[in-house]
Amino acid sequence: MKYGKALVAIIALAIVSPIFGVVLADAVGYHEPLDVAAETLGLKEEDIEWGSPLPDYSVPGLDPVTGYIISGIVGAAVVFGIAYLLSRVSKKE
Amino acid sequence: MHIPDGYLDPLWAAATYATAITYFGVVAKRFRPVITPEAAVLAAGIFVAQMLNWPLPGGTSLHLVGGALAAAVLGPWAGSVVMGLVITVQCLLFHDGGITALGANLLNMAVIDVLVGYAVFKAVRSRLGGVRGLFLGGLLGGWAGIVAAGVACGIEIGLSPQWPFGTAITVPIMGGWHAVLGIIEGIITGSVLAYLGSKAPEVIKG
Repeated sequence: MKYGKALVAIIALAIVSPIFGVVLADAVGYHEPLDVAAETLGLKEEDIEWGSPLPDYSVPGLDPVTGYIISGIVGAAVVFGIAYLLSRVSKKE
Repeated sequence: MHIPDGYLDPLWAAATYATAITYFGVVAKRFRPVITPEAAVLAAGIFVAQMLNWPLPGGTSLHLVGGALAAAVLGPWAGSVVMGLVITVQCLLFHDGGITALGANLLNMAVIDVLVGYAVFKAVRSRLGGVRGLFLGGLLGGWAGIVAAGVACGIEIGLSPQWPFGTAITVPIMGGWHAVLGIIEGIITGSVLAYLGSKAPEVIKG
């Protein structure tokens, strides 16, 4: 397959992603400028539940590292799948 | 830069939704971007790359956004579609970014980041060819896109009836931080473009 290499790289990124997304984020405390700005204004996050199946890149019941990897692969597959369908549709027109 | 639920005034949530929907409607109708299989691969790559949070000294962190990268490779319209897809999937499947803030998140990362990043990338590219032009265009485009998106995000969360002058606080915070963090977005964007330019220049269509 023409994009085999790129897809392997994507899966590899998903496998190492918990190092950054879970382990280091927990160690350092994930804190981006938006959080700083919101804190300064005293904005409060509201938890609106809309039934996202993999909330915060976790699989309910699984440990965070495994959940993060599965989330990465599922998310990449869904994004790829929808874009690929779009590519079939936009080609036909 | 994903705004969660609760940060936006309802009026702004509605206005940003309307703007994002109008934008994508116009893009689909007027520009009819062709989504290629390459675009699907890039979309998956940007999704995974956004999951890599880079913790930085001083207790802050960032992850790649990728709007300028998508625009440089695919052009601004297909780039917006790809970014819009990534951000919508993040919201609906992973609860990343609030459902009421989806319009604003699309506006910042799939519209402003993409269009500003593309404009700067193109301006550099038209003056400097080759791999050097790709790197510098990606560096400056990636940086400018992130700063513009950060400022927009600051305006959106700062504007609310409870905080009439909130933007005076949030815009400098968001703009200032992203002017620094955007350098990393720029370096990644420039490096990926330079790599693609040397290995497979035909994939860069922006």
